[in-house]
Amino acid sequence: MTRSRRRRVLGRIVLYAVVLLAMLPLLFPVYWLVSSSFKSNLSAYATPPEWWPSPSTLENYANLATGYTDFAMYVRNTLITCVATALLAMAIASLAGYAVSRLRFPGKRPLLLSILATQMFPHVLILISLYGMFRQLHLMNTHLGLIFSFTTFAVPFSVWMMKGFFDGIPHEIEEAALIDGCTRLGALRRVVLPLVSPGLLAVSLFSFLDGWNNLLYPLTLATSVEVRTIPPGLLLSFLGQFKHDWAGMMAASVVVTVPVIIIFVLLQRFLVRGLTAGAIKG
Amino acid sequence: MAQSGLPVLKGEPKRRALWDETGLAVMCLTPCILVLGFVIVYPLARGIYLSLLHYKLTDPTGPTLAYLGNYAAILTDSIFWEALQNTAIFSAASVALGFLAGLLLAVLLDRDLPGIRVLRGLSLVPWIVPYIVVAFLFLYMFNFDVGVINFLLRVLGLATENIAWLSSPRSAMIAVITANVWNQTPFYILMFLAGLQTIPVELKEAASIDGASPLQVFWHITVPHLQNIMVIATILMLIRNFNNFPLIWVMTQGGPINSTTTLVIYIFRLAFSEFNFGYAAAVGVLWLVLLMVITAWYVRQFEREMAL
Repeated sequence: MTRSRRRRVLGRIVLYAVVLLAMLPLLFPVYWLVSSSFKSNLSAYATPPEWWPSPSTLENYANLATGYTDFAMYVRNTLITCVATALLAMAIASLAGYAVSRLRFPGKRPLLLSILATQMFPHVLILISLYGMFRQLHLMNTHLGLIFSFTTFAVPFSVWMMKGFFDGIPHEIEEAALIDGCTRLGALRRVVLPLVSPGLLAVSLFSFLDGWNNLLYPLTLATSVEVRTIPPGLLLSFLGQFKHDWAGMMAASVVVTVPVIIIFVLLQRFLVRGLTAGAIKG
Repeated sequence: MAQSGLPVLKGEPKRRALWDETGLAVMCLTPCILVLGFVIVYPLARGIYLSLLHYKLTDPTGPTLAYLGNYAAILTDSIFWEALQNTAIFSAASVALGFLAGLLLAVLLDRDLPGIRVLRGLSLVPWIVPYIVVAFLFLYMFNFDVGVINFLLRVLGLATENIAWLSSPRSAMIAVITANVWNQTPFYILMFLAGLQTIPVELKEAASIDGASPLQVFWHITVPHLQNIMVIATILMLIRNFNNFPLIWVMTQGGPINSTTTLVIYIFRLAFSEFNFGYAAAVGVLWLVLLMVITAWYVRQFEREMAL
């Protein structure tokens, strides 16, 4: 090995060490979350901390499955409301996104900008009104009420994202279909929608995730345990009856995080685009 | 319909084509407008109306018109001003720290090293973790007796005894911001990495050949190139932090003694602990106005980027 080559290799090793060291504050809490979930509650309390769970146990996960909290019910409610929100947002946003991307009509610019602005509204203000409205309309403690509340994020966000996806489809493809005798809606359904299907997947997954993470609305609009979703469910269990069951808390946390990680791996390609609503080009 | 969709090809009068498209646009937009009207526009209008009422659910007399009384009361409400200050501290500190950490890590992760893609992927995990989990994890790590953070501080000699992070006002804010920065740093990494990867390699190489030091390359090529992304990321995250509810609520409920009460937490407590809807709505509307100013700024940046 020549001298300069050796120096380069050494330099890379040093760089590598620097990168890993800089990553440590980000990664250690993740490790701590996962490893603590495999500890008995006793060793979760150990000082000095048990750096590696020994003996490791699946007890905390088993507890979740066997109804020590109402975890299964929370998961069911979350799935029902989030899937419905995702489907609703996808249907609404594919039509609206198409219109704002492709059609010319008066008032388009203000409409687009106000949809963008709704994303910055403090949801807590909207919630004060929704609370009163839902009590009058008997939407309190219903899945439907939660679905509506989740659309406050899902719909505006999805419309903007779908606009971006439609903008990316060349006009010529649609024009060819029109010349071949399709109506505009026919061309949308047969030609354009299949091309934006990755976008449809992306918006529905993002909408799903928002509901999965949402604490504010279900904490207030779904007070009965039959419709309670995961975030308020975990909050009320682990800061209430099961306070200080740290290992159990970490196990529940892992279970809640895994689906999110799977979805993000699927979403990878759209991540930047979705987070910035088109702020980055290319 | 089919023909009017092609005004340019067919050379039809522009006006008719426009109105034909308007018909279809109305059809496509109706569901969207109905839903947003029901869940955002009407509630917002109703919120503004509520802000003009004396309306406490526990009052036996029912709502009465207060005109601007609630707004006048806000001016002398010391908790409101404290909450405004806390919101500013929480958001500014979170954004500043997350931004710097994210920039540093993005520059490091931009290097071509074996396995760097795996590291990039792993660096995103804290961003993906749901708020409730971030809050639980840091409640555990900041715990007085069994928290790993107190243990590490003692082992490293940075503290002589355990710190009651979440039960003293000053340290509670530090704990909440720490958790938040941990959660948000990957967002900046993601944005900055995406930006860094659009810088042509030739540009950096040319500068190096001309004798620029790595620091000079960073200041004169990397930073200007990332400028737009930096502005947008900062504004986006400021707004996000202004409205952050779950992390603070789970970790401290705004306590101890209002020390982590941001405006969102304050509004929530006014409305759903005290059931003082009128006053809560007034604080909310005021907060909305402040946010609109910032949003207008955001939209302007955004328009410039998108050339809408």
